[in-house]
Amino acid sequence: MIRLVFLGKFGDVAPAGLAEISLPGGVRTLGDLQSWLARQQPLLGRAMAATRTRLIVNQCVAHDLSCPVADGDEIAFLPPMSGG
Amino acid sequence: MQVRLTDRIFDPQAETAAFTAGRDDAGALVSFVGTCRAATDGGAVEELRIDHYPGFTEKEITRLAQEISRRFDCPDLLVVHRVGRIRPGEAIVLVAALSVHRAKAFEAVKLLMDYLKTDAPLWKKESGPDGARWIEPRDEDHARRIAAEKGWV
Repeated sequence: MIRLVFLGKFGDVAPAGLAEISLPGGVRTLGDLQSWLARQQPLLGRAMAATRTRLIVNQCVAHDLSCPVADGDEIAFLPPMSGG
Repeated sequence: MQVRLTDRIFDPQAETAAFTAGRDDAGALVSFVGTCRAATDGGAVEELRIDHYPGFTEKEITRLAQEISRRFDCPDLLVVHRVGRIRPGEAIVLVAALSVHRAKAFEAVKLLMDYLKTDAPLWKKESGPDGARWIEPRDEDHARRIAAEKGWV
């Protein structure tokens, strides 16, 4: 299983069922995962494509979409931030 | 260094008093409080909601605060940030810096606020009579952050 966390506006369009899923077949990297999500959830895919999306793997910033994804990982999708 | 997120109303004066209690090593205290406005460019605001990523958000704000503390030689920094639902008039953020002299404390608070606007993992959603909208950093927020980085301001 992998855990997916959608923050900010991504949380509005991501179904709750995505919070914990089996690692989809053929998904080996963050890039694969993002493509899989865009196919499964076009609304979410469009929301992520329309803005700068940062990916966090197990609470660490991922700098590269070739970063591997493995069973047990937590992956968070962050839209642009707006604190303060 | 203290960084705290809270989903409760907080009293900036009481937080600042607790932060400075017993301190005789600093000649300057500078603090900034950001509050929720009842109206913004987007219209009337009835409620603000701030999302965060538990664990990661605290870690990132602490990292930003540590970087600024090192750069400005501040003995101590305090950040208190609300998350969850916030009503107009309530404090959203408190940033305070204790330093030997005032110049560095002013600079540290200003840069930390610039960082929080663009780099802290927090997401604001305003709700009003016309519906809800997610807020993203404005171009001027990014420009201010870049200028501050370069030491122009």
